[in-house]
Amino acid sequence: MFERFTSEARQAVVGAQEEARRLHAARIGTEHLLLALLAQEGSASAAALARHGLVHDSVAETIRGYGTADLDAEALTTLGIDLDAVRDRVEATFGPGALERVSGRAAADHIPFSPRAKKVLELSLREAIAMKSKSIADGHIALGLLREGEGLAMKVLHDRGIDTPELRRDLTTALRS
Amino acid sequence: MADTGQVASAASSKDPTVGLRAVRSLRTLVERLEALQVGNARDQGWTWEQIAQQLGVTRQAVHKKYASGRGPLRRRD
Repeated sequence: MFERFTSEARQAVVGAQEEARRLHAARIGTEHLLLALLAQEGSASAAALARHGLVHDSVAETIRGYGTADLDAEALTTLGIDLDAVRDRVEATFGPGALERVSGRAAADHIPFSPRAKKVLELSLREAIAMKSKSIADGHIALGLLREGEGLAMKVLHDRGIDTPELRRDLTTALRS
Repeated sequence: MADTGQVASAASSKDPTVGLRAVRSLRTLVERLEALQVGNARDQGWTWEQIAQQLGVTRQAVHKKYASGRGPLRRRD
């Protein structure tokens, strides 16, 4: 399936990893896929998402505000624990990213996809097939997010009152052009 | 980072959201530190018995958690 991804779609998948790492998440969720799509500013799907008010930095801020991270630095501060200080010490001993590396000594740089995020990628394939597209573009991933319909990415959309059928139409139009 | 005033009020508030989130984060932190330390001990040749003793749990408990076939810290050999 991955070989059918366009370079933008691949970049979104790789970028989701980066987004998850930046937010100190143990899993790549739908919200990280959304952020990765938004990070590709020149792309047609990012432009379509931006028309609905979805831009990278503000969405990242919203997601941080949900406080769903397993490791919430702000919450730990209420107990007098400075997560950054803990991270610095752990990394000094065990190397960069050690605290986010749940899988001990296994592949250091790999954050696994959540089942829901995996589902989104599967659905992006189906969206591509439904549109009779030979390749899976980043726009299909965006459509996959909408099709999946749950997860934090959708919570962002709902909380902002975004008209998802309209967004779907916009993304589809962008893909066809 | 939140400003200190906000943090101080959060700490003194009785809002369960804040307290529970802190507990969850603390639990996650403990789990991750434990995995790192157990992995390090195994790398240095410690037995499950020795690790369990330091953690204050049974050998079976630590073995079950970290030595299973699909576990993160299984031996490569």
